[in-house]
Amino acid sequence: MTARGTSSRFLASVLHNGLGRYVQQLQRLSLSLSRDGPSSRGAREFVERDVTDFARRNPGVVIYVNPRRCSVPKVVAEYVNGAVREENIQGKSAEEIATLVQKLADQSGLDVIRIRKPFHTDNPSIQGGPTVPILAASLKPERLQGFTEPLFSEIQVEM
Amino acid sequence: MVFLTTQLWLRNRLTDRYWRIQEVLKHARHFRGRKNRCYRLAVRAVVRAFVKCTKARRLKKRNLRTLWINRITAASQEHGVRYPVFIGNLVKCQVELNRKVLADLAIYEPKTFKSLAALAKRRREEGFAAALGEGKEPEGIFSRVVHYH
Repeated sequence: MTARGTSSRFLASVLHNGLGRYVQQLQRLSLSLSRDGPSSRGAREFVERDVTDFARRNPGVVIYVNPRRCSVPKVVAEYVNGAVREENIQGKSAEEIATLVQKLADQSGLDVIRIRKPFHTDNPSIQGGPTVPILAASLKPERLQGFTEPLFSEIQVEM
Repeated sequence: MVFLTTQLWLRNRLTDRYWRIQEVLKHARHFRGRKNRCYRLAVRAVVRAFVKCTKARRLKKRNLRTLWINRITAASQEHGVRYPVFIGNLVKCQVELNRKVLADLAIYEPKTFKSLAALAKRRREEGFAAALGEGKEPEGIFSRVVHYH
């Protein structure tokens, strides 16, 4: 609940370049439901009606449907960066499962935790960032001779 | 006759005590000392942690603004301008930059900040000329404002 008690991350894209936006990040979708069993009724309807359309709309996703004897139907989504998300679809209707599956397909595999800042940039400074003379007020004049290079030229800084 | 013995054998016993204390201890696992292990100490520590977490939301706004003001003061002092002079003259020039943006500019865009400090200095001088010159000085260039009516 506290900021230090819960995990957090900085805003980032999947490979820190722009490719993650044009490649669907969902790799695999595994549905496990039961043939009989009232809790997977919505899952069965989803499999009968909507799963083939979903598969045609998202050709990059591999969908596994496993009918097995389970009391709790689940959908497991695996992403390109290795993240695995498991959702319980017990007692949900087919429409709710369809929206849930669509949400999983739209997500990238990054963790759903608090994002510290809503912005991120690899190049926070256009004009070269602070140079040593900015700190000149705290340094004595004799020590400044010979310092001309900027401070932040090679360091990656979170903005 | 009423048989009461069977009912007397039924007792209400707490069966999920373990999970109830784990709910509290899981928020205390990163604490120091025995408060991360012992429930009695952990309860007090966790409650205080949550209270501080909520109260800190108001303090964060104050602390960040103070930090920005300190940074802007330091950066403007390097250019020979004091903070109140800097902020006041920027407002008079209708440069509506808030302290967060000014602090970021001071760190990452030093040339821009230098020009803002020069603008504030020039506006200050024009203000003095208008106040002390009694109409004989020409109107300042940077004292012109846009009127939004």
